Amino acid sequence: MAKVAREMVERAGVDVDQLVELLVKNAAAELTTYYYYTILRCNLIGLDGEGIKEIAEAARIEDRNHFEALVPRIYELGGQLPRDMKAFHDVSACPPAYLPEDLTDVNAILKVLVEAERCAVRGYTQICNMTAGKDHRTYDLALAILNEEIEHESWFSEFLGEGPSGHFLRRGDTSPFVSKFLK
Amino acid sequence: MNAGMKQFSKEALARYDGKEGRPAYIACNGKVYDVSTSFLWQKGHHQVLHQAGVDLTEALKQAPHGEDLLERFPVVGTLKSD
Repeated sequence: MAKVAREMVERAGVDVDQLVELLVKNAAAELTTYYYYTILRCNLIGLDGEGIKEIAEAARIEDRNHFEALVPRIYELGGQLPRDMKAFHDVSACPPAYLPEDLTDVNAILKVLVEAERCAVRGYTQICNMTAGKDHRTYDLALAILNEEIEHESWFSEFLGEGPSGHFLRRGDTSPFVSKFLK
Repeated sequence: MNAGMKQFSKEALARYDGKEGRPAYIACNGKVYDVSTSFLWQKGHHQVLHQAGVDLTEALKQAPHGEDLLERFPVVGTLKSD
């Protein structure tokens, strides 16, 4: 634990235990999403599915990166990951991104993907709101993750015909915002 | 709103706190929603910050989502005004 770092956050008026619990829940959401996106990606096949596979893969890898980036902050603040992975799954801040019943329904898979990203966008917005001007390190991390989650949402939303994402897909490296926390 | 719906006082609503197998109900803008089936309301807790069995109208103003998400859940009654 980073004792003074935690104390600074407490002194700024943040309920650190509450914040740590939220970070753990969001870390669980990232790791479980990584798992569920693996299954979704495998089922994105055929003329419609193949076109979406690449962004599903980018989102999958970046969600794993988010998990990796969150863990150090949880421990710095005096928290820890649950000992039992089943328990970890069940405290996730977002519902499981299950494969739809109809495996050939690419639109249904896209809806699962976009809902998962929207849940993440809400979660990191909440953490940013809690920490803005109070816990600079957690805010910086949550904002970086939020930037990537918003891009994921816009990619899937674009494929659902909800409007243009307004930007291009990744070129090469993943996690343009979060990578600084992974070095 | 359906006039025949069950009316909840704040005290009655508090009994639906989602704990120990009890249903999880929440109120917002006069409607009472059953969120028991939601993954995000397990044991009556929501995102660390909220507890079932209460009126969350004010809390929702600070939440990162609107009332539209609540519309996914069945309305089981109305909340009596004070």
